[in-house]
Amino acid sequence: MKKTLLSSAIITAALSVGITTAQADDFPTKPLTLVVGFGAGGSTDIQARVLANVLEEELGQPVNVVNQPGAGGGVALTRLASNRDEGYTFAFGTSMTITYGPLATETAYQLDDFRYVAGVTLGQSAMVTGEDRPFGNSWEELIEYARENPGTSYATQTALDRMIIEYIAQQEGLDLRIVPTAGGAGMAPLILSGDVDFAYSGGTHSGYAETGEMPVLLSLAEDRLVAFPDAPSMQEAGYDINPAEIRVVMVPKDTPDAHVERLAEALEAATQDERFIEITEERILMPVVYMSEDEVTQTLTEQTESYKALLEELGGVPGEGE
Amino acid sequence: MIPDTQMLRKNVWSGLGVTLVTCWLLAWLIPRYGGSGMAFGMHPQRLATLGAWVMLLCAIALTLVSFIQLRKQRVTLFASPSLAVIWHQLWPFLYVLLFIVLAIYLPLTWLAPFIVGALVMLLGERRWYVVALAAAVPTAALYLLTVHLMRIGVV
Amino acid sequence: MLELSAITSAFGDALTLHSIGVIFGGVLLGYLVGVIPGLNRSVAIAIAIPLTFYMSAYAAIAFLIGLSKGTAAGSAVSAILLNTPGEPSSAATCLDGYPMAKNGQPRKALKVGLLASVIGDLLSTLLLIVVVIPFASIALKFGPYELAAILIFALVFIAGMAGGSFLKGMAAGGMGVILGTVGLDPETGAMRFTFGYAELMEGVPILPLVIGTLALSEMFVQLDEYRRSKDGSSIRLTNNPDDNLSYSEFKRTLPTIFKSTGIGAFVGALPGLGPSVGSFMAYGLAKRSAKDPDSFGKGNPNGIAAAEAADNAVIPASYIPLFGLGIPGSVSAALLVGAFMIHGIQVGPLMLRDHPQMLFTIFAGMIVASLIMLAIGWYGLRLFAKVTSVPQNIVIPVVIFLCLAGIQVQGYGTFGLLTVFGFAIFGYFLKKFDYSFVTFLVAFIVTPMLEMNLRQSVILSGGEISILLQRPIALFFVVATGLLVLHLLWSSYREYRNRRSLSSP
Repeated sequence: MKKTLLSSAIITAALSVGITTAQADDFPTKPLTLVVGFGAGGSTDIQARVLANVLEEELGQPVNVVNQPGAGGGVALTRLASNRDEGYTFAFGTSMTITYGPLATETAYQLDDFRYVAGVTLGQSAMVTGEDRPFGNSWEELIEYARENPGTSYATQTALDRMIIEYIAQQEGLDLRIVPTAGGAGMAPLILSGDVDFAYSGGTHSGYAETGEMPVLLSLAEDRLVAFPDAPSMQEAGYDINPAEIRVVMVPKDTPDAHVERLAEALEAATQDERFIEITEERILMPVVYMSEDEVTQTLTEQTESYKALLEELGGVPGEGE
Repeated sequence: MIPDTQMLRKNVWSGLGVTLVTCWLLAWLIPRYGGSGMAFGMHPQRLATLGAWVMLLCAIALTLVSFIQLRKQRVTLFASPSLAVIWHQLWPFLYVLLFIVLAIYLPLTWLAPFIVGALVMLLGERRWYVVALAAAVPTAALYLLTVHLMRIGVV
Repeated sequence: MLELSAITSAFGDALTLHSIGVIFGGVLLGYLVGVIPGLNRSVAIAIAIPLTFYMSAYAAIAFLIGLSKGTAAGSAVSAILLNTPGEPSSAATCLDGYPMAKNGQPRKALKVGLLASVIGDLLSTLLLIVVVIPFASIALKFGPYELAAILIFALVFIAGMAGGSFLKGMAAGGMGVILGTVGLDPETGAMRFTFGYAELMEGVPILPLVIGTLALSEMFVQLDEYRRSKDGSSIRLTNNPDDNLSYSEFKRTLPTIFKSTGIGAFVGALPGLGPSVGSFMAYGLAKRSAKDPDSFGKGNPNGIAAAEAADNAVIPASYIPLFGLGIPGSVSAALLVGAFMIHGIQVGPLMLRDHPQMLFTIFAGMIVASLIMLAIGWYGLRLFAKVTSVPQNIVIPVVIFLCLAGIQVQGYGTFGLLTVFGFAIFGYFLKKFDYSFVTFLVAFIVTPMLEMNLRQSVILSGGEISILLQRPIALFFVVATGLLVLHLLWSSYREYRNRRSLSSP
């Protein structure tokens, strides 16, 4: 069962190359595989494909992109965790899968099953609303409105944003109607038509930055959003959570140091490559950064701890009663 | 449209089978693995339970109606197929299952000529060049597609 | 704003040799992908997106649109000839296409399918051009209440028309509903029937399920029949005198094509319903409104026409919310958003303001793509129809292999192979015991959408049914569903009485 398309591909590739043990400093000596835990065409996928092209030049070997969608990136990580090909297969994904995923559901992987080679992009998720709402575009007014109007509706997409909104509702004493929806494509009609008052958005709002049809109420990044500087960050709004998403490259934990270093070097160069910067900052509207392995690992560990504490405060994962 | 005896017999037995499976679903599987939790909209098990009840009612009705018609026609309920017939229907499944198990250990591209070739021969083809061609073309196509077009390596 | 010169120059751009070449390449590639069972549209687009990095923005988009149109038309070929839908949405095409090919009319079936595809696609494209900007916001009137009501209506409608025993159909539908709920509960996040497999968290994967129930199981059924009567190929050679599509026959399918295009375009314009709902609904309507409903499922050209016209009409129509509102209405539309993004164009209502020339060039390119599709299909048909002259004892092993390879190529791994196998057994029993696998498939496909929209409706309304009075469209479909159920019960009761009076005179 654990056997995957990928590992079989790699095994045969290894056999065809021959049994010559690759020296660490030669890495890589054969094509690499970049796994994306989301479907083709999403913003993660688009970015991964450009990243693969850039890495191909940096590493001197073809980098193939393989989509393994499912469980919000969880399927890809489940397979990666049992992968043993020393860095030839690596995943590109968002940190939520690894920080909150194992807390919200039973997963076959944990935070420490992987090494986080580098962080390359900061997420820009947010709480958004539509045009002409009674509370305008202001988070404070929304909270006031929701206090006066029990049953104000919110559309959730991920387990993480569900926990955050439950926490906020508890802090502010709100009675919200929380509606599930699937992805940005499911959320946008609800917001644009006015059926739902406000919603979580992973990145869909960037597309409406110019028209103003989807104003941002609250930034869920560490700071304010690049494209929506008027909306406060969570800290500014008075909530002690940092749900900032980082897009990271990860490998299984037993990958040799030399391989991880070589990948990290290539990734650092990629974050300075024009094509990668253009696709990320100008199209997807997310800032490019370079975070080293230590930095990412520390941030992710801290986030996991803070989510754990939050869950304790809430008395368990929202929705999953006994 | 008068259902023939054979179809009635099939209806009785399949209806009975579906009834049993559904009882098992309702009594054990759905409560146990259907998911739990507080929901404002719908309980996680609601739709599955609904589907199972529809199945149960339909299967019981089907069994009874067909059984009564069968009794009216005064034919026996049992017509057990011979072992030869069962084997005849069973081996293709085992054949495919064998290759799926092998595919856990070997890439499908390596198995491809055997999957196709062996079955072509089992189905009575004796001209060697036909067998070879039938085995080689799909294999080559799979190789070209995965290695050169999709660049995901040998699957 | 919409100056004629802009439009003519847009057509000028779309008609250069280079653009036509690019679109041709896209359609051809899509057609081939569609023909090969197991390879589907999203895979094709994912393969093609890196290819478009080096094209101009227009060429890239035209290429991808050509590709996705091509897959829709191409998937009819394998559905008709091999009973293996290239896309899940062509499953409805199998129902009449395959029996027709088996009756020795593969070319006629292919031609009907092709013409219906092209007409459906072309009309829907024209509709897109006329409707996209002014009327896109109507799609927003269809919120969770309306979608839930439409989905329930569609489910009952399709179950009612599927034919065979009503009881057995409903039982199969119930099974589809149960399987449709597998995976993470959308509201509580509870695991349902996943047994610890991460692969099941987003539900039973649809492609292995469809290929298993339809294609692989059919191969087992045929193996059984082939060995019982070793009389060679069951699809006879092409020299059947009745294997050509006459003009009068074509004319008889036209009303079906137009109606089905309407249904497909309607379904496509509503974000999230998808081509499978469209093609099965159109098929159902064609069958219900036919004078000879019993001939459906046994090789009626109208069945192919309905399924294909609707399937192809969904695709251009799903770009209505995309270009009008920035909401992708289908998987292929979502992929296009990505392609646009790579080429620096923000899809949505701003396109008309910022890139009007681009938008009209794309529209022109879409029309060109439809016509190229016709040409490729028409000439390719002679080639494809040759498949039927390959003897059965070679086709069966090759198709069994293709079913397995398709799953492996898509990255489902061993889990996918076992899923295909499991559903092949399931489908085998459905077929042997004459349970409606159509109802099963549709119930399975519709359940997740239905559940999501029902949930949203219940939560948003706070459980108050009176909300329906404020949503006239939803109310209409709820009432229509009620009437339909009564009608179905009444007609099956009448049939039962007729049958009884026949069997015991």
